[in-house]
Amino acid sequence: MNRLIIDDEKVYLEGDKSVSLKEETKFLDVKSLSLKVIKDTDLIIECDCKDAKISITVNVFKDVHLNIFEIKKGGRYKIRYIYYLDNDSKVNYEKINDVHEAVEESIFNLNGERSEVIYNFKTISKSKEKYNFLVYHNASKSVSDIKNNGVNIDEGNLEFNVSSFVPNKIVKCKVNQSSRIINETSNECVIKPNLFIDEEDVIASHSALIGTFSSDEIFYLMSRGIEKKEAKRMLSKGFLLKGITKYKDEFNEIIDSYWG
Amino acid sequence: MGKMKNLKIDNLTVKAKDDGKIILKDFNLEIKSGEIHAIMGPNGTGKSTLTKVIMGDTNYEIVKGKTIYDGKNINKMKVSERAQLGIFLGMQMPMAIEGVSNADFLRSSLRAKEKDNFKLLPFVKEVDRYIKKLKMDPDMLNRSVNDGFSGGERKKNEILQMYVLKPDLILLDEIDSGLDVDSLKLVGESVMDYYEDKKPAILLVTHYQRLLDYIKPDYIHIMNEGKIVKSGDGSLASYIEKHGYENE
Repeated sequence: MNRLIIDDEKVYLEGDKSVSLKEETKFLDVKSLSLKVIKDTDLIIECDCKDAKISITVNVFKDVHLNIFEIKKGGRYKIRYIYYLDNDSKVNYEKINDVHEAVEESIFNLNGERSEVIYNFKTISKSKEKYNFLVYHNASKSVSDIKNNGVNIDEGNLEFNVSSFVPNKIVKCKVNQSSRIINETSNECVIKPNLFIDEEDVIASHSALIGTFSSDEIFYLMSRGIEKKEAKRMLSKGFLLKGITKYKDEFNEIIDSYWG
Repeated sequence: MGKMKNLKIDNLTVKAKDDGKIILKDFNLEIKSGEIHAIMGPNGTGKSTLTKVIMGDTNYEIVKGKTIYDGKNINKMKVSERAQLGIFLGMQMPMAIEGVSNADFLRSSLRAKEKDNFKLLPFVKEVDRYIKKLKMDPDMLNRSVNDGFSGGERKKNEILQMYVLKPDLILLDEIDSGLDVDSLKLVGESVMDYYEDKKPAILLVTHYQRLLDYIKPDYIHIMNEGKIVKSGDGSLASYIEKHGYENE
Protein backbone atom coordinates (compact mmCIF):
# COMPACT_ATOMS: atom_id res chain seq x y z
CA MET A 1 0.00 0.00 0.00
CA ASN A 2 1.13 3.54 -0.76
CA ARG A 3 -0.01 6.83 0.65
CA LEU A 4 0.33 10.17 -1.10
CA ILE A 5 -0.23 13.12 1.22
CA ILE A 6 -0.68 16.57 -0.20
CA ASP A 7 -1.08 19.69 1.92
CA ASP A 8 -0.10 23.33 1.61
CA GLU A 9 3.43 22.69 2.88
CA LYS A 10 4.50 19.42 1.34
CA VAL A 11 3.91 16.45 -0.89
CA TYR A 12 4.85 13.15 0.67
CA LEU A 13 4.73 9.57 -0.58
CA GLU A 14 5.17 6.62 1.74
CA GLY A 15 4.73 2.97 0.94
CA ASP A 16 6.10 -0.18 -0.55
CA LYS A 17 8.06 1.20 -3.55
CA SER A 18 5.53 -0.08 -6.07
CA VAL A 19 4.80 3.58 -6.74
CA SER A 20 7.46 6.19 -7.41
CA LEU A 21 6.97 9.94 -7.19
CA LYS A 22 8.72 12.71 -9.02
CA GLU A 23 7.90 16.22 -7.97
CA GLU A 24 8.55 18.87 -10.58
CA THR A 25 9.52 22.45 -9.97
CA LYS A 26 6.60 24.69 -9.28
CA PHE A 27 5.63 26.78 -12.26
CA LEU A 28 3.04 29.50 -11.81
CA ASP A 29 2.32 27.99 -8.38
CA VAL A 30 1.37 24.65 -9.92
CA LYS A 31 2.59 21.55 -8.11
CA SER A 32 3.43 19.01 -10.75
CA LEU A 33 3.55 15.41 -9.60
CA SER A 34 4.42 12.37 -11.65
CA LEU A 35 3.68 8.88 -10.36
CA LYS A 36 4.75 5.58 -11.85
CA VAL A 37 3.03 2.38 -10.77
CA ILE A 38 4.99 -0.76 -11.56
CA LYS A 39 3.28 -3.39 -9.40
CA ASP A 40 -0.23 -4.19 -8.18
CA THR A 41 -0.99 -1.95 -5.22
CA ASP A 42 -3.37 0.34 -3.38
CA LEU A 43 -2.70 4.05 -3.55
CA ILE A 44 -4.27 6.34 -0.99
CA ILE A 45 -4.36 10.02 -1.88
CA GLU A 46 -5.16 12.46 0.91
CA CYS A 47 -5.38 16.16 0.08
CA ASP A 48 -6.03 18.89 2.61
CA CYS A 49 -5.07 22.29 1.22
CA LYS A 50 -6.32 25.85 1.57
CA ASP A 51 -5.56 26.80 -1.98
CA ALA A 52 -3.98 24.34 -4.39
CA LYS A 53 -3.09 24.14 -8.04
CA ILE A 54 -1.87 20.67 -8.82
CA SER A 55 -1.12 18.57 -11.86
CA ILE A 56 -0.88 14.83 -11.24
CA THR A 57 0.27 12.37 -13.88
CA VAL A 58 -0.08 8.66 -13.20
CA ASN A 59 1.50 5.99 -15.39
CA VAL A 60 0.12 2.53 -14.81
CA PHE A 61 2.41 -0.08 -16.31
CA LYS A 62 1.50 -3.22 -18.21
CA ASP A 63 -0.53 -5.83 -16.26
CA VAL A 64 -0.65 -3.64 -13.15
CA HIS A 65 -3.85 -3.41 -11.12
CA LEU A 66 -4.10 -0.20 -9.13
CA ASN A 67 -6.74 0.66 -6.54
CA ILE A 68 -6.88 4.38 -5.79
CA PHE A 69 -8.71 5.74 -2.76
CA GLU A 70 -8.74 9.51 -2.71
CA ILE A 71 -10.21 11.89 -0.18
CA LYS A 72 -9.96 15.60 -0.59
CA LYS A 73 -10.88 18.18 2.05
CA GLY A 74 -10.36 21.84 2.67
CA GLY A 75 -10.33 24.87 0.42
CA ARG A 76 -9.99 25.73 -3.23
CA TYR A 77 -8.58 23.25 -5.71
CA LYS A 78 -7.60 23.41 -9.34
CA ILE A 79 -6.37 19.98 -10.31
CA ARG A 80 -5.59 18.17 -13.51
CA TYR A 81 -5.19 14.40 -13.37
CA ILE A 82 -3.71 12.58 -16.34
CA TYR A 83 -3.69 8.79 -16.40
CA TYR A 84 -1.88 6.56 -18.86
CA LEU A 85 -2.87 2.91 -18.80
CA ASP A 86 -0.80 0.27 -20.55
CA ASN A 87 -1.90 -3.18 -21.78
CA ASP A 88 -4.06 -5.14 -19.32
CA SER A 89 -3.68 -2.52 -16.61
CA LYS A 90 -6.64 -1.72 -14.40
CA VAL A 91 -7.48 1.27 -12.26
CA ASN A 92 -10.25 1.01 -9.71
CA TYR A 93 -10.87 4.47 -8.32
CA GLU A 94 -12.89 5.58 -5.30
CA LYS A 95 -12.89 9.30 -4.73
CA ILE A 96 -14.55 11.61 -2.22
CA ASN A 97 -14.50 15.41 -2.28
CA ASP A 98 -15.55 17.62 0.60
CA VAL A 99 -13.99 20.90 -0.50
CA HIS A 100 -14.91 24.55 -0.63
CA GLU A 101 -14.39 24.95 -4.35
CA ALA A 102 -13.04 22.75 -7.11
CA VAL A 103 -12.24 22.86 -10.78
CA GLU A 104 -10.87 19.52 -11.90
CA GLU A 105 -9.99 17.84 -15.15
CA SER A 106 -9.40 14.11 -15.31
CA ILE A 107 -7.93 12.68 -18.48
CA PHE A 108 -7.82 8.93 -18.91
CA ASN A 109 -5.66 7.62 -21.73
CA LEU A 110 -6.52 3.97 -22.22
CA ASN A 111 -3.49 3.25 -24.35
CA GLY A 112 -3.17 -0.47 -23.82
CA GLU A 113 -5.43 -3.25 -25.03
CA ARG A 114 -7.81 -4.44 -22.31
CA SER A 115 -6.89 -1.51 -20.10
CA GLU A 116 -9.72 -0.59 -17.76
CA VAL A 117 -10.78 2.27 -15.52
CA ILE A 118 -13.63 2.01 -13.04
CA TYR A 119 -14.23 5.41 -11.46
CA ASN A 120 -16.63 6.10 -8.61
CA PHE A 121 -16.75 9.73 -7.47
CA LYS A 122 -18.79 11.37 -4.71
CA THR A 123 -18.98 15.01 -3.75
CA ILE A 124 -20.97 17.33 -1.53
CA SER A 125 -20.98 20.64 -3.36
CA LYS A 126 -21.35 23.83 -1.33
CA SER A 127 -20.05 26.35 -3.87
CA LYS A 128 -18.71 26.19 -7.40
CA GLU A 129 -17.52 22.72 -8.40
CA LYS A 130 -16.79 21.78 -11.97
CA TYR A 131 -15.48 18.39 -13.06
CA ASN A 132 -14.41 17.62 -16.60
CA PHE A 133 -13.61 14.11 -17.73
CA LEU A 134 -11.96 13.12 -20.98
CA VAL A 135 -11.76 9.37 -21.57
CA TYR A 136 -9.73 8.32 -24.59
CA HIS A 137 -10.08 4.72 -25.70
CA ASN A 138 -6.87 4.48 -27.70
CA ALA A 139 -6.72 0.67 -27.74
CA SER A 140 -9.14 -2.12 -28.48
CA LYS A 141 -11.05 -3.94 -25.75
CA SER A 142 -10.47 -1.09 -23.32
CA VAL A 143 -13.14 -0.43 -20.69
CA SER A 144 -14.27 2.74 -18.94
CA ASP A 145 -17.01 3.14 -16.37
CA ILE A 146 -17.24 6.68 -15.00
CA LYS A 147 -19.76 7.18 -12.20
CA ASN A 148 -20.23 10.62 -10.65
CA ASN A 149 -22.64 11.32 -7.80
CA GLY A 150 -23.04 14.67 -6.12
CA VAL A 151 -25.38 16.37 -3.69
CA ASN A 152 -25.62 20.11 -4.24
CA ILE A 153 -26.39 22.19 -1.14
CA ASP A 154 -26.05 25.77 0.19
CA GLU A 155 -24.49 27.95 -2.51
CA GLY A 156 -23.48 24.99 -4.66
CA ASN A 157 -23.16 24.99 -8.44
CA LEU A 158 -22.18 21.50 -9.48
CA GLU A 159 -21.20 20.54 -12.98
CA PHE A 160 -20.11 17.21 -14.48
CA ASN A 161 -18.87 17.16 -18.08
CA VAL A 162 -17.97 13.70 -19.27
CA SER A 163 -16.67 13.01 -22.78
CA SER A 164 -15.66 9.55 -23.95
CA PHE A 165 -13.88 8.98 -27.26
CA VAL A 166 -13.59 5.81 -29.34
CA PRO A 167 -11.91 6.29 -32.73
CA ASN A 168 -12.50 4.17 -35.80
CA LYS A 169 -10.88 0.69 -35.76
CA ILE A 170 -10.56 0.64 -31.98
CA VAL A 171 -12.92 -2.28 -31.47
CA LYS A 172 -14.77 -4.12 -28.71
CA CYS A 173 -14.51 -1.32 -26.18
CA LYS A 174 -16.99 -0.93 -23.36
CA VAL A 175 -17.87 2.64 -22.47
CA ASN A 176 -20.20 3.73 -19.72
CA GLN A 177 -20.78 7.03 -18.00
CA SER A 178 -23.37 7.64 -15.34
CA SER A 179 -23.82 10.95 -13.53
CA ARG A 180 -26.42 11.97 -11.01
CA ILE A 181 -26.85 15.18 -9.05
CA ILE A 182 -29.30 15.63 -6.19
CA ASN A 183 -29.90 19.36 -6.19
CA GLU A 184 -31.16 20.58 -2.83
CA THR A 185 -30.98 24.23 -3.94
CA SER A 186 -32.52 26.41 -6.63
CA ASN A 187 -29.05 26.95 -8.12
CA GLU A 188 -28.22 25.62 -11.54
CA CYS A 189 -26.48 22.27 -11.87
CA VAL A 190 -25.26 20.83 -15.15
CA ILE A 191 -24.39 17.41 -16.55
CA LYS A 192 -23.03 17.13 -20.08
CA PRO A 193 -22.66 13.49 -21.13
CA ASN A 194 -20.87 13.12 -24.46
CA LEU A 195 -20.04 9.97 -26.38
CA PHE A 196 -17.83 10.54 -29.42
CA ILE A 197 -17.76 7.13 -31.06
CA ASP A 198 -16.53 6.52 -34.60
CA GLU A 199 -16.47 2.72 -34.36
CA GLU A 200 -19.51 0.44 -34.61
CA ASP A 201 -18.13 -2.51 -32.67
CA VAL A 202 -18.54 -0.85 -29.25
CA ILE A 203 -20.86 -1.21 -26.27
CA ALA A 204 -21.64 2.27 -24.99
CA SER A 205 -24.16 3.72 -22.59
CA HIS A 206 -24.71 6.85 -20.56
CA SER A 207 -27.15 8.25 -18.06
CA ALA A 208 -27.51 11.70 -16.57
CA LEU A 209 -30.00 12.75 -13.93
CA ILE A 210 -30.45 15.98 -12.00
CA GLY A 211 -33.27 16.26 -9.48
CA THR A 212 -34.26 16.40 -5.86
CA PHE A 213 -34.89 13.45 -3.61
CA SER A 214 -37.99 11.62 -4.74
CA SER A 215 -41.13 12.77 -2.89
CA ASP A 216 -42.30 9.14 -2.91
CA GLU A 217 -39.13 8.03 -1.12
CA ILE A 218 -39.51 10.78 1.47
CA PHE A 219 -43.20 9.92 1.94
CA TYR A 220 -42.32 6.27 2.44
CA LEU A 221 -39.71 7.03 5.11
CA MET A 222 -41.96 9.58 6.83
CA SER A 223 -44.84 7.11 6.84
CA ARG A 224 -42.75 5.07 9.26
CA GLY A 225 -42.37 8.01 11.64
CA ILE A 226 -39.06 9.34 10.37
CA GLU A 227 -38.87 13.16 10.28
CA LYS A 228 -38.26 14.84 6.92
CA LYS A 229 -34.79 16.05 7.88
CA GLU A 230 -33.78 12.58 9.02
CA ALA A 231 -35.32 11.09 5.86
CA LYS A 232 -33.13 13.36 3.74
CA ARG A 233 -30.07 12.45 5.81
CA MET A 234 -30.77 8.75 5.25
CA LEU A 235 -31.30 9.24 1.53
CA SER A 236 -28.14 11.35 1.24
CA LYS A 237 -26.15 8.67 3.01
CA GLY A 238 -27.58 5.95 0.83
CA PHE A 239 -26.81 7.92 -2.31
CA LEU A 240 -23.32 9.04 -1.34
CA LEU A 241 -22.04 5.98 0.49
CA LYS A 242 -23.06 3.51 -2.20
CA GLY A 243 -19.91 1.86 -3.58
CA ILE A 244 -17.60 3.51 -1.04
CA THR A 245 -15.44 1.05 0.89
CA LYS A 246 -12.27 2.75 2.09
CA TYR A 247 -13.38 5.98 3.76
CA LYS A 248 -16.89 4.88 4.64
CA ASP A 249 -16.78 5.86 8.33
CA GLU A 250 -15.05 9.17 7.70
CA PHE A 251 -17.46 10.04 4.89
CA ASN A 252 -20.35 9.01 7.11
CA GLU A 253 -19.20 11.62 9.64
CA ILE A 254 -18.81 14.23 6.91
CA ILE A 255 -22.37 13.57 5.72
CA ASP A 256 -23.64 13.82 9.31
CA SER A 257 -21.95 17.21 9.64
CA TYR A 258 -24.20 18.54 6.87
CA TRP A 259 -27.42 16.63 7.55
CA GLY A 260 -27.00 15.68 11.19
CA MET B 1 -55.00 -4.56 23.95
CA GLY B 2 -53.91 -0.92 23.65
CA LYS B 3 -55.84 2.24 24.22
CA MET B 4 -58.93 2.65 22.05
CA LYS B 5 -58.03 4.88 19.14
CA ASN B 6 -60.79 5.46 16.64
CA LEU B 7 -60.70 6.99 13.18
CA LYS B 8 -63.53 9.19 11.96
CA ILE B 9 -63.51 10.68 8.50
CA ASP B 10 -66.09 13.41 8.33
CA ASN B 11 -67.36 14.80 5.02
CA LEU B 12 -63.88 14.77 3.50
CA THR B 13 -63.35 16.19 0.02
CA VAL B 14 -59.88 15.86 -1.47
CA LYS B 15 -58.28 16.90 -4.75
CA ALA B 16 -55.01 15.99 -6.41
CA LYS B 17 -52.53 18.85 -6.33
CA ASP B 18 -51.09 18.18 -9.78
CA ASP B 19 -54.29 18.35 -11.85
CA GLY B 20 -56.89 19.62 -9.38
CA LYS B 21 -59.11 16.58 -9.91
CA ILE B 22 -61.49 15.83 -7.04
CA ILE B 23 -60.81 12.28 -5.86
CA LEU B 24 -62.73 11.95 -2.60
CA LYS B 25 -66.14 13.62 -2.37
CA ASP B 26 -67.93 14.20 0.95
CA PHE B 27 -66.40 10.96 2.18
CA ASN B 28 -67.53 9.56 5.53
CA LEU B 29 -66.22 6.55 7.44
CA GLU B 30 -65.76 5.58 11.06
CA ILE B 31 -63.49 2.76 12.23
CA LYS B 32 -63.21 1.78 15.87
CA SER B 33 -60.35 -0.08 17.52
CA GLY B 34 -60.81 -3.79 17.00
CA GLU B 35 -62.82 -3.36 13.79
CA ILE B 36 -61.74 -4.53 10.35
CA HIS B 37 -63.11 -2.64 7.38
CA ALA B 38 -62.50 -3.56 3.75
CA ILE B 39 -62.88 -1.14 0.87
CA MET B 40 -63.58 -2.56 -2.57
CA GLY B 41 -64.50 -0.93 -5.83
CA PRO B 42 -63.58 -0.48 -9.48
CA ASN B 43 -60.18 0.93 -10.46
CA GLY B 44 -59.73 4.69 -10.15
CA THR B 45 -62.44 5.31 -7.57
CA GLY B 46 -60.09 6.71 -4.92
CA LYS B 47 -59.43 3.68 -2.71
CA SER B 48 -55.64 4.00 -2.63
CA THR B 49 -55.91 7.78 -2.40
CA LEU B 50 -58.03 7.36 0.71
CA THR B 51 -55.25 5.44 2.48
CA LYS B 52 -52.61 7.98 1.37
CA VAL B 53 -54.75 10.92 2.53
CA ILE B 54 -55.21 9.34 5.95
CA MET B 55 -51.41 8.94 6.07
CA GLY B 56 -50.97 12.60 5.05
CA ASP B 57 -49.58 12.41 1.51
CA THR B 58 -48.89 16.01 0.46
CA ASN B 59 -49.71 15.26 -3.17
CA TYR B 60 -53.34 15.71 -2.15
CA GLU B 61 -55.11 18.78 -0.85
CA ILE B 62 -57.99 18.66 1.56
CA VAL B 63 -60.77 20.89 0.23
CA LYS B 64 -63.08 20.37 3.20
CA GLY B 65 -63.91 17.97 5.98
CA LYS B 66 -62.02 16.43 8.89
CA THR B 67 -59.96 13.37 9.64
CA ILE B 68 -60.27 12.71 13.35
CA TYR B 69 -57.93 10.17 14.94
CA ASP B 70 -57.75 9.53 18.65
CA GLY B 71 -59.91 12.60 19.18
CA LYS B 72 -57.62 14.95 17.21
CA ASN B 73 -58.11 16.48 13.77
CA ILE B 74 -55.01 15.27 11.97
CA ASN B 75 -55.61 17.13 8.69
CA LYS B 76 -52.62 19.39 9.21
CA MET B 77 -50.30 16.86 10.79
CA LYS B 78 -47.12 15.83 9.03
CA VAL B 79 -46.82 12.27 7.74
CA SER B 80 -44.21 11.42 10.37
CA GLU B 81 -46.40 12.76 13.19
CA ARG B 82 -49.28 10.58 12.04
CA ALA B 83 -47.01 7.55 11.98
CA GLN B 84 -45.76 8.35 15.47
CA LEU B 85 -49.40 8.54 16.60
CA GLY B 86 -49.75 4.89 15.56
CA ILE B 87 -51.00 5.03 11.96
CA PHE B 88 -49.37 2.59 9.55
CA LEU B 89 -49.77 2.34 5.79
CA GLY B 90 -48.81 -0.94 4.14
CA MET B 91 -48.31 0.11 0.55
CA GLN B 92 -49.32 -1.48 -2.72
CA MET B 93 -45.91 -0.75 -4.27
CA PRO B 94 -43.43 -0.17 -1.43
CA MET B 95 -40.54 2.05 -2.54
CA ALA B 96 -37.08 0.65 -3.12
CA ILE B 97 -34.57 2.91 -1.37
CA GLU B 98 -31.06 2.41 -2.62
CA GLY B 99 -28.27 2.57 -0.08
CA VAL B 100 -30.48 2.60 3.04
CA SER B 101 -30.32 -0.77 4.75
CA ASN B 102 -33.45 -2.42 6.05
CA ALA B 103 -31.87 -2.66 9.49
CA ASP B 104 -31.15 1.10 9.60
CA PHE B 105 -34.61 1.86 8.29
CA LEU B 106 -36.35 -0.28 10.90
CA ARG B 107 -34.17 1.07 13.71
CA SER B 108 -34.70 4.70 12.68
CA SER B 109 -38.44 4.14 12.38
CA LEU B 110 -38.78 2.59 15.81
CA ARG B 111 -36.44 5.13 17.38
CA ALA B 112 -38.57 7.94 15.91
CA LYS B 113 -41.63 6.43 17.56
CA GLU B 114 -40.17 5.37 20.90
CA LYS B 115 -37.62 8.19 21.22
CA ASP B 116 -35.73 7.85 24.54
CA ASN B 117 -37.46 4.55 25.30
CA PHE B 118 -35.83 2.86 22.31
CA LYS B 119 -33.58 -0.04 23.32
CA LEU B 120 -31.36 -1.73 20.78
CA LEU B 121 -31.11 -5.25 22.16
CA PRO B 122 -34.86 -5.93 22.49
CA PHE B 123 -35.27 -4.44 19.01
CA VAL B 124 -32.70 -6.85 17.55
CA LYS B 125 -34.28 -9.85 19.27
CA GLU B 126 -37.75 -8.85 18.18
CA VAL B 127 -36.75 -8.34 14.55
CA ASP B 128 -35.02 -11.71 14.54
CA ARG B 129 -38.20 -13.36 15.83
CA TYR B 130 -40.43 -11.66 13.26
CA ILE B 131 -38.08 -12.51 10.39
CA LYS B 132 -38.42 -16.18 11.32
CA LYS B 133 -42.17 -15.89 11.67
CA LEU B 134 -42.49 -14.28 8.23
CA LYS B 135 -40.07 -16.82 6.71
CA MET B 136 -37.82 -14.05 5.41
CA ASP B 137 -34.15 -14.35 4.53
CA PRO B 138 -32.19 -12.80 7.45
CA ASP B 139 -29.77 -11.33 4.91
CA MET B 140 -32.49 -8.93 3.75
CA LEU B 141 -31.79 -6.84 6.85
CA ASN B 142 -28.43 -5.87 5.38
CA ARG B 143 -29.82 -5.18 1.94
CA SER B 144 -31.18 -1.82 0.80
CA VAL B 145 -34.85 -1.29 1.58
CA ASN B 146 -36.89 -3.26 -0.97
CA ASP B 147 -34.05 -2.98 -3.50
CA GLY B 148 -34.12 -6.08 -5.69
CA PHE B 149 -36.91 -7.58 -3.58
CA SER B 150 -39.61 -9.62 -5.29
CA GLY B 151 -43.22 -8.50 -4.95
CA GLY B 152 -43.75 -11.06 -2.18
CA GLU B 153 -40.61 -10.01 -0.29
CA ARG B 154 -41.71 -6.37 -0.41
CA LYS B 155 -45.10 -7.20 1.06
CA LYS B 156 -43.55 -9.34 3.79
CA ASN B 157 -41.21 -6.45 4.52
CA GLU B 158 -44.25 -4.20 4.99
CA ILE B 159 -45.69 -6.68 7.47
CA LEU B 160 -42.32 -6.87 9.26
CA GLN B 161 -42.40 -3.08 9.66
CA MET B 162 -45.96 -3.31 10.95
CA TYR B 163 -44.91 -5.84 13.58
CA VAL B 164 -41.96 -3.72 14.68
CA LEU B 165 -43.88 -0.43 14.85
CA LYS B 166 -46.98 -1.89 16.52
CA PRO B 167 -49.52 0.53 15.06
CA ASP B 168 -53.05 1.08 16.34
CA LEU B 169 -54.52 1.94 12.95
CA ILE B 170 -53.43 -0.19 10.01
CA LEU B 171 -54.11 0.81 6.42
CA LEU B 172 -53.36 -1.95 3.94
CA ASP B 173 -53.46 -0.91 0.31
CA GLU B 174 -53.77 -4.00 -1.89
CA ILE B 175 -51.39 -5.92 0.30
CA ASP B 176 -52.44 -9.02 -1.65
CA SER B 177 -51.19 -7.84 -5.05
CA GLY B 178 -48.15 -9.66 -6.38
CA LEU B 179 -48.41 -12.49 -3.85
CA ASP B 180 -48.48 -16.16 -4.70
CA VAL B 181 -50.88 -18.47 -2.86
CA ASP B 182 -48.45 -19.38 -0.07
CA SER B 183 -47.27 -15.81 0.50
CA LEU B 184 -50.87 -14.57 0.52
CA LYS B 185 -51.71 -17.10 3.23
CA LEU B 186 -48.64 -16.13 5.25
CA VAL B 187 -49.29 -12.40 4.95
CA GLY B 188 -53.00 -12.76 5.65
CA GLU B 189 -52.44 -14.97 8.69
CA SER B 190 -49.68 -12.68 9.99
CA VAL B 191 -52.01 -9.68 9.84
CA MET B 192 -54.66 -11.66 11.71
CA ASP B 193 -52.14 -12.81 14.34
CA TYR B 194 -51.28 -9.17 14.97
CA TYR B 195 -54.97 -8.30 15.03
CA GLU B 196 -55.75 -11.00 17.60
CA ASP B 197 -52.88 -9.78 19.77
CA LYS B 198 -53.30 -5.99 19.59
CA LYS B 199 -56.84 -5.45 18.34
CA PRO B 200 -56.00 -2.48 16.14
CA ALA B 201 -58.36 -0.81 13.72
CA ILE B 202 -57.74 -2.11 10.20
CA LEU B 203 -58.74 -0.60 6.88
CA LEU B 204 -57.82 -2.72 3.92
CA VAL B 205 -58.19 -2.00 0.25
CA THR B 206 -58.54 -5.00 -2.02
CA HIS B 207 -59.95 -6.10 -5.33
CA TYR B 208 -60.32 -9.73 -4.47
CA GLN B 209 -62.22 -12.01 -2.16
CA ARG B 210 -59.12 -14.22 -1.74
CA LEU B 211 -57.49 -11.89 0.84
CA LEU B 212 -60.72 -11.95 2.81
CA ASP B 213 -60.33 -15.72 3.20
CA TYR B 214 -57.64 -14.86 5.74
CA ILE B 215 -58.49 -11.39 6.98
CA LYS B 216 -62.12 -11.42 7.99
CA PRO B 217 -63.65 -7.94 7.83
CA ASP B 218 -66.52 -6.80 10.01
CA TYR B 219 -67.62 -4.36 7.33
CA ILE B 220 -67.21 -4.14 3.58
CA HIS B 221 -67.68 -0.87 1.74
CA ILE B 222 -68.02 -0.41 -2.00
CA MET B 223 -66.48 2.81 -3.26
CA ASN B 224 -67.35 4.56 -6.47
CA GLU B 225 -66.46 8.04 -7.72
CA GLY B 226 -64.85 9.07 -4.47
CA LYS B 227 -67.45 7.96 -1.97
CA ILE B 228 -68.90 4.88 -0.33
CA VAL B 229 -71.98 3.76 -2.25
CA LYS B 230 -72.79 0.60 -0.34
CA SER B 231 -71.78 -1.05 2.94
CA GLY B 232 -72.44 -4.51 4.27
CA ASP B 233 -70.96 -7.46 6.06
CA GLY B 234 -68.54 -10.09 4.72
CA SER B 235 -71.16 -11.55 2.39
CA LEU B 236 -70.99 -8.42 0.24
CA ALA B 237 -67.52 -9.44 -0.99
CA SER B 238 -68.81 -12.81 -2.15
CA TYR B 239 -71.65 -11.09 -3.98
CA ILE B 240 -69.22 -8.71 -5.72
CA GLU B 241 -66.90 -11.59 -6.62
CA LYS B 242 -69.83 -13.32 -8.30
CA HIS B 243 -71.68 -10.42 -9.90
CA GLY B 244 -69.12 -7.61 -10.25
CA TYR B 245 -69.60 -3.93 -9.44
CA GLU B 246 -71.77 -3.05 -12.39
CA ASN B 247 -74.75 -4.98 -11.05
CA GLU B 248 -74.53 -3.12 -7.77
